[in-house]
Amino acid sequence: MTSNSEKLQRHAGIDRLFHWATAVVLTLLLLTSLLPILGVRFAWYGVHWVAGLILTVLILLHIVRALFWQRPGSMLLGAADFSSRGAGKYTLAQKLMHLGWTLAVLVAIVTGLLLLRKAGVSFMTRDPYAFSLPAWGVLTLLHDLSALLSVFLVLVHVYFAILPEKRAYLRAMVSGFISRRDLAAEHDVQRVERGE
Amino acid sequence: MNLLRFGHDAYGERVLNGVSWDLLLPVAFWAGVAVIVGHLIYRALRRGKSGRAHDQ
Repeated sequence: MTSNSEKLQRHAGIDRLFHWATAVVLTLLLLTSLLPILGVRFAWYGVHWVAGLILTVLILLHIVRALFWQRPGSMLLGAADFSSRGAGKYTLAQKLMHLGWTLAVLVAIVTGLLLLRKAGVSFMTRDPYAFSLPAWGVLTLLHDLSALLSVFLVLVHVYFAILPEKRAYLRAMVSGFISRRDLAAEHDVQRVERGE
Repeated sequence: MNLLRFGHDAYGERVLNGVSWDLLLPVAFWAGVAVIVGHLIYRALRRGKSGRAHDQ
């Protein structure tokens, strides 16, 4: 016999830690890159590249954890996401948000690591001739576009997180648990329990 | 207004420097705001419709 108020684990502690650490680091990265553009002058570069390296480590750990300890298939888009059935662990909107973040963060990391070569950091010799000027331009363009996509995603992500009808997801990202009733509002609990 | 920023190399050739922040930063911000406002309107209409159905 199952009760509607029964608490189901949605996120393990390590995944919540990853989520909030990523949120802090991404906020730092956006502030250190966009505030100077908005006219707030400070020594942003040191904080920016250190935060970028921390983000890189966090994402690598997340990928390893997702591939070997979790079910990466539960985050992939499939035909079932467009049917009227209840969602699996993640709704279509949540999968699209994850896809958006994947694109923004991976492009930012790859281009950011390459741009470190141009700007120079304490552990890497500066080499502005590693790529041609047009190639540096394209890398900077892609890095900029990932920042713009991140601005858009932060707004939409925070909005949906604080909506009253979606707040159970926010509570789950804090406590790790969601009630069966809240989960059943948009999910097929049996699919979730099967790991879909 | 340009979508991209350009500079010049040592030979005076035009080279790409990145996106035009003046144009695209407000676009990214207002696109996010547009999605939020769009969803709030959709949410209000859906609630109005389900409220009317509940009254009948």
